Amino acid sequence: MDIIEHPVLFYLLGIPISQTVVMTWILIVITVVIVLILRKVLPSLLETMLEFITGMVADVLDVDNLNPYLPLLGSLFIFILLSNMLSIVPGLKSPTSDINTTLALALVVLFSVQLYGIRQKGFWGYLKTFSDPIWLFPLEIVSQVSRTFSLTLRLFGNIMSGDLIVAIVFSIIPLIVPVAMMSLSLLTGVLQAYVFTILAALYIASAVEVNIEDEKMRKAGSNKIRNNRKEEKYGKS
Amino acid sequence: MENLEPGTLVTVITIIVAGISIVLGTVVPAIMEGLAAGKALDGIARQPDAAPQIRTTMIISMALLETTAIYVLLIVLVLLFFNPLLERFFGG
Repeated sequence: MDIIEHPVLFYLLGIPISQTVVMTWILIVITVVIVLILRKVLPSLLETMLEFITGMVADVLDVDNLNPYLPLLGSLFIFILLSNMLSIVPGLKSPTSDINTTLALALVVLFSVQLYGIRQKGFWGYLKTFSDPIWLFPLEIVSQVSRTFSLTLRLFGNIMSGDLIVAIVFSIIPLIVPVAMMSLSLLTGVLQAYVFTILAALYIASAVEVNIEDEKMRKAGSNKIRNNRKEEKYGKS
Repeated sequence: MENLEPGTLVTVITIIVAGISIVLGTVVPAIMEGLAAGKALDGIARQPDAAPQIRTTMIISMALLETTAIYVLLIVLVLLFFNPLLERFFGG
């Protein structure tokens, strides 16, 4: 069945090139063409898109400067959005309906979360946030791995089952009903792109955050805390 | 039940199990998503100014709740259409 199997189309310098890779190349060409056309014709649309992505990420990622994180998150959003919508075109198949693509994206998120955390806090500082109580360290490792799996399976399951349901309905009633299923799969494609990017931003935020209150308390010295407690107990003098 | 071939028995049990699991796996997330939407609407009714914030959080929560339903759908689809156990054990 074309949904689950990944047929190898040809060999390039000894490397087998599967159907998914060819679809990804077509997606790259389409993206570049769209952006080049929009630059000439309607540049404000590109600006709106950029502001939309920045606003979407700034809700979750509460740092002063979003610029280091924006290329990764913006690329994830645009790639997943366009590739989920690619199966509307007759003859093309979404690259994200292949679990290899979604696993690759989730692994990118996994490694970049660790790298951003280490860059912000240093290697031992970042490791220390895993071991607040030291016996929770294995649980933190397991949670990182399970986040990756859930990102993979969420995106893959939504997109592949959308395609499969369209194929099944198409084999029963080919005339009008597949259009309803296709529009539903467009909607879930946009939603899943949004959710993937928001979750990636959330994981980066939790790796990069510095607890401001603790830092300020520690820097101001414990006198402030002691005076505040005395004030609470005995009232202002 | 004893004079069925093993391949047929596995197929019958697979069909029954797939039916039960898709029912459970669709109804429970749907009820929980309805509850979540209800609570979100309560929050919007109480504080209309916070509506965009609540709406964003609700959309994210819905997508996360949907995930387990998708997991169940995946398993049921594999069971029904690409059942690996039939080929491995019974050559059927």
